[in-house]
Formats: sequence, C-alpha cells, structure tokens
Amino acid sequence: MALYTPDRSQYPAALPDGSLEFDLASGKYLKLWQGPQHPGITGNMSLELTVCGDEIVHARTHVGYLHRGFEKLMERRTFIQCFPIVCRICVPEPDFNEYCYAQAVEELAGIEAPERARWIRTLILEMGRINSYMMYLGGQAGSLGQAVIGQWTTYGRDLMLDRFEELTGARIYHMFILPGGVRDGLPDGFETRMEETLREIERIMADVEDVMFHNAVFKTRTVGQGIIRPEWIEDYGVTGPNARAAGVVKDVRKDQPYLVYPELDFEPVSGTDSDVFTRADVRRRDVHVSIDLVRQILARMPKDGPLMAKVPNVLHWKIPKGETYVRGECSRGEYGYYLVTDGSGYPRRVNVRGPSYTHAMALLEKMIVGVNIADVAGLMVSLHTYPPEIER
Amino acid sequence: MRALLDSLKSLYPLDDIVLQRPDLAFATVPAAQVRGLLHHLKEREGFTHLVLLTAVDWLEDGMFQLTYLLHDRARARDLGLRTLIRRDRATMDGIHDLWPTAATYQRELKEMFGIDFPGSPGVDDPFVLEGWTDLPPYRRDFDTKDFSERNFNHREGRVTHDPAAHMKRHLYPDEA
Amino acid sequence: MSLKDVLSPFTAWKYVFRDPVTIENPLRDRPGAARYRGFHKNDPELCIGCGTCETICQNGAIDMVPAPGRDPRQGDSALRPRIDYGRCCWCALCVDVCMTKSLSMSNEYIWVDRDPDAFRFTPGIDSKRWDSAELGYHRPEHHRLVPEHRPHMGELEPEERIGSFAEIVDGYTVEQARAEADRCVSCGLCIATCPAHMDIPNYIAAIRDGDYRHGLELLYRTNPFSEICGRVCTHKCETVCAAGHTGEPVAIRWLKRHIVDQVPYEQYRDVLAPPAPATGRTVAVVGAGPAGLTAAFDLARLGHAVTVYEALDKPGGMTRWGIPEYRLPYDIIDRDVDVIRSMGVDLRCGQRIGGDVTLGQLRDGHDAVVLALGLQMGRATRIPGSDHPDVRKAVDLLRQATAGEDFGTPQQAVVIGGGNVAMDIARTLARLQKQAFGTVRVTVTALEDFAHFLADPDEIKESFEEGVVILDARGPQAVVIEDGEVAGLKTWKVKSIFDEQGRFAPSYDETDEMIHPGSMVVEAIGQMTDTALLGEDLTEKLAWNRGRLQVDAKGRTSEPWLWAAGDMVRGPDVVSAVADGHRVAAGIHAALTGKEDQA
Repeated sequence: MALYTPDRSQYPAALPDGSLEFDLASGKYLKLWQGPQHPGITGNMSLELTVCGDEIVHARTHVGYLHRGFEKLMERRTFIQCFPIVCRICVPEPDFNEYCYAQAVEELAGIEAPERARWIRTLILEMGRINSYMMYLGGQAGSLGQAVIGQWTTYGRDLMLDRFEELTGARIYHMFILPGGVRDGLPDGFETRMEETLREIERIMADVEDVMFHNAVFKTRTVGQGIIRPEWIEDYGVTGPNARAAGVVKDVRKDQPYLVYPELDFEPVSGTDSDVFTRADVRRRDVHVSIDLVRQILARMPKDGPLMAKVPNVLHWKIPKGETYVRGECSRGEYGYYLVTDGSGYPRRVNVRGPSYTHAMALLEKMIVGVNIADVAGLMVSLHTYPPEIER
Repeated sequence: MRALLDSLKSLYPLDDIVLQRPDLAFATVPAAQVRGLLHHLKEREGFTHLVLLTAVDWLEDGMFQLTYLLHDRARARDLGLRTLIRRDRATMDGIHDLWPTAATYQRELKEMFGIDFPGSPGVDDPFVLEGWTDLPPYRRDFDTKDFSERNFNHREGRVTHDPAAHMKRHLYPDEA
Repeated sequence: MSLKDVLSPFTAWKYVFRDPVTIENPLRDRPGAARYRGFHKNDPELCIGCGTCETICQNGAIDMVPAPGRDPRQGDSALRPRIDYGRCCWCALCVDVCMTKSLSMSNEYIWVDRDPDAFRFTPGIDSKRWDSAELGYHRPEHHRLVPEHRPHMGELEPEERIGSFAEIVDGYTVEQARAEADRCVSCGLCIATCPAHMDIPNYIAAIRDGDYRHGLELLYRTNPFSEICGRVCTHKCETVCAAGHTGEPVAIRWLKRHIVDQVPYEQYRDVLAPPAPATGRTVAVVGAGPAGLTAAFDLARLGHAVTVYEALDKPGGMTRWGIPEYRLPYDIIDRDVDVIRSMGVDLRCGQRIGGDVTLGQLRDGHDAVVLALGLQMGRATRIPGSDHPDVRKAVDLLRQATAGEDFGTPQQAVVIGGGNVAMDIARTLARLQKQAFGTVRVTVTALEDFAHFLADPDEIKESFEEGVVILDARGPQAVVIEDGEVAGLKTWKVKSIFDEQGRFAPSYDETDEMIHPGSMVVEAIGQMTDTALLGEDLTEKLAWNRGRLQVDAKGRTSEPWLWAAGDMVRGPDVVSAVADGHRVAAGIHAALTGKEDQA
C-alpha cells in the first residue's frame, strides 16, 4: 500500500539516453543534500538529491569523507603490518577483513591455519554478524522514527562486544585473526557467558519482533518500498540479504563453503518480496541463524590443539609472486580480498571488495528515483551499507 | 574448470593460465578480446556476477594489469581475467553495458589509476577525491609518504636511535 | 496488516518496569578484560632495547630512546621503547614480537591529561599507575611471530667420529641456513659483543637473500679468518642474541661458516679490492697466528710491505697447533691464509726470531715490528709429582698431535682443567686411544662445577658422547707416582674457588678425596707467552702489566717501534686476536702515514 501519490505534473522530460533533463533555474527542482552530516545517512556518505516536490527525481551518491587509502598503505607495509590495518575498512563488522586477508596471505604463502583456529575464526565471524545485524536493526528502526529499537539492540551488541573483548582483547578492532591462525584460544568459562549473552539477545530479538516488525507504522513505511528487481541482482552485483530478500538465495557460506561451514547445520534465510520490510525481516531471521551457529560452534569445536601455523619470521616474510581472491559471506553480502604478490615482502596490490561498493552507489542511485524524501533514509539503511568499504 | 579453460582456449588467445584453486583460475587475454570474452562468459558460461574490476600497476614493465573477476554461482567457480595495457596509453573499453555497476569501478579506476574508459557514465566525475592535481594516487610512482610529508606538519619531539649505532657510540667509539 | 500490528508495539511499555542495563559508574566499575589490549607496560630489567617492537610497528609509533641511568652494556643497548599514543593503534604486534617478553599491555584504558605530550611515554621508565596491573594482554606462550628453534644440523654420530679426526659438524644446507638466517631480527645487539664488531645482521641478511658473494665481502670487511671463525669462533655474539631470551640464539657462527662454504674458493679474491699502491713502508710481524696475519692482511691492503716470521713450519698459530682437526680441518686454515698471502704478504715459516734473525735486526730493517706471539707455553699446577716426565702440558701434546708426532698415547689419562683446551686434549686423547686400543679412558677433573663450567656446553656434551669422563669441582692435590711411574691423580672436592674478595683461592673438602687412575696426567690450566726472543735488555726496558706486555689502546708497547697483538696481550680467543690485529694495523698505519692524531 502506498499512502503517497506523487504529483507528476512538474516531472522532467526524459532525454533520448534515458536520463532526465533538469533546468534548475526553472524553480521546479531543488537540490537537496542528505549527508555527510545527517541522521538519515549510513556512515560518512552523502546523497545529492534532486527533488521535484517531495519526490526524488535524481540522485548522486558521494563518498570520500572517510578515504584513508588503505589499499595503497598496504603496498608499503609488510604482510604482518597490514594485519592491524585491514579491520578498519569496515568498522561495525571488521572481522571479515581480518579473515579474508589472512586467508589470502596463507593461500599465497602456502600455509594452512590449524583446525582449531578455523573454528575460532568461524565463531568470530558469526559473532560479528550478530553485531552487525543488531546495529542495522537499530538503524533501520531509527530511520523510520523508532528510536527505542536502537537502544535495545545497542545493548545486545554491547553484550556481544563484551564477549569480543574477553576473547580478542578489544571491542571494535579485534585484531585477532592474523595470517597463520588466531592469537589465542577461548578464555575459561567463555561458553557459559556466551550462552547468557545469546539468551539476552534472543530476548531482545523477541521484543524487536513485537515492537518493530509487528508494527502497523513500520509495515506501512516499508512494505512495497524500495524494491530490488530480480534483473538488477546481476547487473549491480547485488549479494547477501539484499539478494536473498529478492528470492536469489546467494550465500557464500553455502555456495562456496569456507572455514568450518561445511560441518555446520544451517539454511540461508530468504524472502520473496524484495522490499525494505523483507530485507529487514531476512536480517532479523538471520540473527537467529547466527545465534544457532555460535551454539553449534561452541559445542563442537576442538578444545585444544595448535592455534597458529608455523609462520616464518614475520619481519622478513616474503611471499612468492601470485594472486588470489578470497571471499566470505558477511552480514551485507559478499566480502572479498583480491591479493596480488610479487615475491617481495610487501603486497603488490590489495583490492577489497565490499558489498557496499555496489549497493550504496549504482544500485542506490537507481532505486532512489521516485521515492519520497521522507523514505530516503529508510531505503538507504535497508541496503545495509558501510561507506568505508566503498572508498577503502 | 579445466574443461572450461580448454574450451575457452580454443576460442580466445588465453595466456599465463593459473589454476589457483579448484574453484578459481586466472588467465591473461589481449585487451581487444576482453569484451568479447566477458560477453561470452556472461551469456554462455554462466559467469553472470561481476565480482570486481580493478587494476594492478606493474610500473617496472610500464603496464597496467586490469583484472575482471567473474563468478559462476551455479558451478561455484571464479575466473579472473587479466589484461595488460600500456601505462602511457592507459585507455580501455568499458563494460558498463554488460554490467551497469561496472561504471562505478571504471570511474574509480580513472581517478585512482588514471585509466580512462571513454563513454563510461560519469567516468570523469571525482570519486573520492576533490580538486586532485597530483598523480593518480594508486599509481606505484605516487609516493604516499612523500605526499604526507609535504602536506602535513610533523609533530616535534620524536627521535629514535638505532641500537647497534647507539652501542657503538658508547662502547667502542674509536674502533672500526 | 492486522490488529496485532497495531497492538504489539505497545508491549514496549514493559521496559518502564525494567531496571536500566547501563553501568552506573563505568570509570570505576568497568575494568578491561583479562586480555584487554590497554596501555603498554615494559619490564625495563628484562628489556634489552633490541628495537624489534619499533621495527614491527606499522604506525611508526615507537622510538627507541636512551633510558635515564642506564648505560649500554653487552646484550643491552640501554634504549627503551617510547610509545607515541598519537599513533599507536593497540594492535599489540610489538607485544607479540618482543624478543624478551618484557613488553605487555595492561587492561587499563582510561587516561586523561591536558598535555598532549604526556601521551608520548616510555613504559616501565615513566611510571604509570597501570604498571602493576596484572591483567591485560601478554603474548600467549604458543603465539610466536619469530621461530624459536634452530634447524637441526647434521653431525657425525659419536661412535662414528671417535674413531677419527674427521670434522664433526656438516654445516648447514642452503635450506637450513635460510631458515636459520630467517630467525634473525636484525637488531644488531651482537655487533658490540663481537670483538671484531662483524656486521652480523647484514651478512645474515645476505644469506636470506642468497647473495653469498656480498656476504663474503661483508665478512672480509672485518675478518680475514671467516673460514676459521665460522668453525671455532667462541661466538660470544650468540650469548647476547635477542632470540636467545625466549628461544635458541641464532647460530651466528654456523651461518658465517655457511657463507664461506657457499662461495667457490676461486672467487674469494674477486670480492676483495686489490691492495692500495705501495707506500714504501715496511712492517715485520712475528707470529703467523690470527692476530699477526690479520695485521699483515690489513697493512698489506693499505700498501705497506709486510713480512711475517713464523717459528713453526706452518702458519695458523694456535688455530693449527692448538685446535684439534675434528673441530677445524687444516686445509680450512690454509684457505684463509692463502687469501691473506695473495694480498702480497711475505710469509716466512720455520723462521724463529732470536736465532739467525734477531728482533734488533727486524727493528733496524722495518718501520714497525708487531709481536703476535700467542700463548704457547702451558702453565704448571706445581702440585707434588707434577715434575714427572709423564705429566704433560696440553698445548705441547696438541702441537705434537698436529705435527703427527707420537708422544706415547696412554691407555688411561687424567686431564686437569675445565676449559676448552682441556676438552680439546681429552677428546684428542680419546681418539688416539680409540685408534690404538679400541677403548676410551680419559678422565677430566675441573675446578669449576658444571653450573660455572668454562668450556662450551657443546664441548661438554660431545665429550660425554665420546665417552670422556668429566668430574666437576675437583681440585688437583698430587700426582700419584708408584714405582717411578705415574699412576693417577689425587683430587679433593672443591668447596669454593674464590675468596670473599674475589681472589683465586680455592678451598677444599679434604674428606672427599678421589684417586683418578691414569698413566699420564695432562695439565690444561692455562697458557703463557714465551717472550725469550725479547732478550734481557728489551725485557727490562719494556713496560709490563701482570706478566703481559703492556700496550696502549692501539697496541703499541712502551717502545714506539714495537707493537704487540693477539693472545699475548688479550688472552686466548681467536676472534679477539683478529680484532686486535685490526687494531694494531690501524695504529701502525696511522703512525706510518703521520695521521696518528686523527686516527
């Protein structure tokens, strides 16, 4: 259902190439900047909107507010020195950077992380997924005016950050998965405290379901909104929940299982309606999948065994010429590292493929046309994008 | 994957083939054949997902390597196509008509590496940089450290000592 | 949309009745986790200032700065890491790589200061309230970013080697050497400890790079006896190696040997620049040991005409006549000496000074004379019975063994002494016994206990493997003589070796007496120099210091034309002799070219 009917009398004419012609001097159109400082924007980005009345007729995304040149910085750092950098490429879910980078280095260096390290890596990735979704749910609700959901999910995320802190020694930038393995095993009693955390998150998720999803306002604002058409999936490289909510069940964990996923029992969550509501719902249900995965991992992982493969002296570590691509399924879709080595002690090129690169740029620009200004924030958040991985 | 590479080899001049993993291969193809091969892979072989498009600067050889990484989900395999273009004539045909999202990659490559894709939508618009006049920053000959030293102030008070030199100065200053 | 969708949101009101979940006073009630990567701690006593933390820091956040009140000493640069918290990212790679485990992190994470420069501090030196924090990140024991073990080096099995004088160790293969070279963190702490200050980190880097020619070039810059030192150097450098604090020290000596093993001998001369044009000055060197030949090498390369006089018929000094062949094959010595000769050094063996040619003639015929006589006379214990002909000096026997002379291998022997010379003669006798009688019967009695033993641990281990009996803390009291023949050695248990003032004054437990049977007793308790060639007048004129010729920092004696170097002034050690050879050569060169003041 749509409560809003656009007034198309002032709508711009289409040019032969399909783009629209605006005459800003005509007074029919207005340029409106949403971001980079704006509560309705995810991260450090901005949208340059051209509106006609309340309707967006054209949008241009702008990034670069957070460009730190990580890919370039890594070319001047040894392989071990890149390890503390990579996590910064995605703040809310940094662990995929650590995993993909470590895995790519290991592959090109011809070493293999020990079994126990592979379980711990999987555990960390699923913990991070839960956190990323909790942050998203708060943002999605907040973008539509439900501030309280963010308070609850932030609490749940904080509990998980406590678990991260005791496992990895840090809350945000964990710096725990390094080429060769992981730094340490689980602390004593970790399983018990993790179970308490998971129960608390399940309780929060029940409340989120009641208050956010079974909610007439939320449904009115989200059902039928921001539809990703099936043909756009491949055109725009759409992955993750954005694709799964459109019925394209892409999940790297199933499609190309990595780490210990082949040994875990789970089904990717998907939907059919491909709107903001479905995407939110897919992510809500995915939280429960991840909670279940964390429980499976803790119950089945080896309790002892090596945590690090034998690595050479990291100060002189040289890796033979080669290239590889390593991907994983992060909370937003396909995360990948393309690593090129040239036989020296430094990477020749590191290219980070974050899902937001396509979702927040070309796809968003396409989807946003025709949307009411008030729905832009909700639509953008529904793509679950993190700008740092766009500009690396 | 072997079978695919063999059949592709009969159609296109593939070179420098590396089977990196059972599900990942890389191959080099001449720049003129890139579009044709990509089209073939997308339409005939199931490589419908453009994972990424990026460049590697082989400064010593005077070449840019463009890497097109494609994914075939049904068979869970990836193929990375490399093509080498001269650094001093860094121009390449765009593939935004095959994958509209490629326009973003091409715009970034123009800005960061100075590789032009004539006709690609918005290819000349700034991507993350504004008012940049220096070398395209991801080229190997752009020195980030030198750039930061020229543009940012150093905070006073930092000085370090090399342990061996420090010990020589104190323990055996007169010896060779 | 249903009625539920309208009503369900109101369930949020239940939170009105819930307690808040926020921590009331997080500054007080929220300590960091046990592994938290908080502010740095450093144990300044454990830290050796190797700077590996600085090397690995990808942020450039660490400076190595002199710590107040500390002076550099062997194995400690006295520098300590200062951390700039404006740059640190708390990745803890510095903690992971720390070679001594001195660096760690506390679980403290709150620090407020108005002065931005306060956040640049030296942990462990600038005291902080978290210095005593027990929690925080420490490198887990298993977590190593630098391998801690040496690769295994092949060597002859004890049964195999005892029957001959064949060299024991194989040397590293290229693969092993690269693995071992990889363990070096290039801190350079070893350079100060090496008497010759060899460029150890860089020649090890040359092995990593496979650039052996460059490696050999680096070796020759500081040591023309790398073949010899690669095998028998006392490798004091390894005692201060940063890797030795939490693992095995880098096998620096074997790596040096690896370089010389890898470069084809014909190419040795190619890495050396030809000597400088002749200066017209001449120098005589007495003694063709490491010190004399090093001095000759340096001086010849500087363009001076050098003549070396050696009393024995082959060059090498104690490296040939003292060190057994199983540790240092003789052809290895020839290789080093031949390179030195190729620099234009005139080496005259079998030319004892004091006979046909006197020191006075050398003085008159040369611009400078270097004495590098070495320590070739064994010291005597002077215990009762030690004047018996079958009580022998270790250095004499070793010299005879090298010369291939038969000195009458005893069926059973007792060695007095606990240094490397004692081990050398014990193991030499063991081999001769094995060849002559098929069984090894050698007993070594040392004053020191095993905890303070003088000989290298490797020597002790290998001696045991070869069937030599070593008894520690035994003080020799008398040679037992029965019917005019040596029958053994009587020893008492040593209670202490030094008195309270640190003087040598052994005290014994007389109730713990042992008789060690043997038909030969060998004294290996130290050596001294035969200075007879100086003659009475010169001996009288020269200044002496506790029985050794007194020299200044450059090696000059109180007579301006006479210089001295090597074991006779520094005590026994090959690489120290090499260092001394360089020193005296530099001194002479400065004196001859009139640049003495600048030198």
